[in-house]
Amino acid sequence: MTHNERAARLLAQYGIELARHIRRIVRDDDAAQDLLQETLLRAHRALTRLGPGANVRAWLYRIATNTSLNHLRSLSRERRALERHAREADAARHPDTDGRAEQAERQRVALWGAVAALPERQRQAITLRVADELEYEEIARRLGCTPEAARANVYQATKRLRLEVAQ
Amino acid sequence: MSPDTMTERRAVERIVLNTYGRLTGRAGEPMRYAMMEDTPVGVLGLAAGEAGLRRLDFVKDEATFVEWLFDSYGDRPILRSDDLDKVRRALDRYFAGDRLTFDLAVDLSDVSGFHERVLRAAVRIPVGEVLTYTEIAAKAGNPRASRAAGNALHNNPVAIIVPCHRIVRSDGSLGGYGGGLHVKEYLLKHEGVLLV
Repeated sequence: MTHNERAARLLAQYGIELARHIRRIVRDDDAAQDLLQETLLRAHRALTRLGPGANVRAWLYRIATNTSLNHLRSLSRERRALERHAREADAARHPDTDGRAEQAERQRVALWGAVAALPERQRQAITLRVADELEYEEIARRLGCTPEAARANVYQATKRLRLEVAQ
Repeated sequence: MSPDTMTERRAVERIVLNTYGRLTGRAGEPMRYAMMEDTPVGVLGLAAGEAGLRRLDFVKDEATFVEWLFDSYGDRPILRSDDLDKVRRALDRYFAGDRLTFDLAVDLSDVSGFHERVLRAAVRIPVGEVLTYTEIAAKAGNPRASRAAGNALHNNPVAIIVPCHRIVRSDGSLGGYGGGLHVKEYLLKHEGVLLV
């Protein structure tokens, strides 16, 4: 069986929930498709190393979350560079005055950029809570931990993000 | 379901199916499946296409069932889906004893000819009744083909809902069953058939 065919077994079992998770974080169908494929191929390689008995679902969520947040982080870097470039190239041009949607989008990407910098467990727990709007029991099920641990991780993550955003 | 949820479902499924195409070249209408992990008769694997329920199998676990689906439906994407929740609820009601009949679309395109006629005859046996192998062979158009009828029932792609368990030997003994004789015995007792 080829790499791709093995990855397709993961796609059959977890494709729908992972695609939803990724799409809710990145809010872009084309990007979500690339990220889902990347997640499956990376997960497949990781699982080959881990062997049987590994919590496949928790692994997949971990990789999907990290891959999606990395994507947003590079998007935000790219955007900052473009903005800088635009300012330098055309200092005379006025920024468009009705840029509210664009600003909201920038804030969203910046927030997820901050999420990307959280410790692993907090990062995963908060994406499931905020992007997927899941209950703690369900978050625990997907991450392979207790609901109490899921709640504590979301709490810690929220606290840190508040500090980040306040700065 | 809200329009938002519908839009999301469609978008999510498109992402998954496109990814399938890129990884494997499998395309077209997916085969959707679901598991029932703890029924009184063990683990069940369900699979459905556009036309209705196509498989209800007694399986070891999800991975084994998925592997079997990949082998059996080589050209189609395979997808775990909550679209089969309606079937699962009907089976839950059946096992709870709340409702022993099924009103579900069943797709028998995995069988044909005499085998298909046997299964269609089995569907018409009411709850609480049984037929013998010879009787069902006759209903399918060939009273001398009781052995072939047995084969057709053994290879029933949609167990329980196509009630192949309602066929027994003329001496009153159970005969055979793909899911194991204890399952056949359980199903018949559950439906109120008095066994000798």
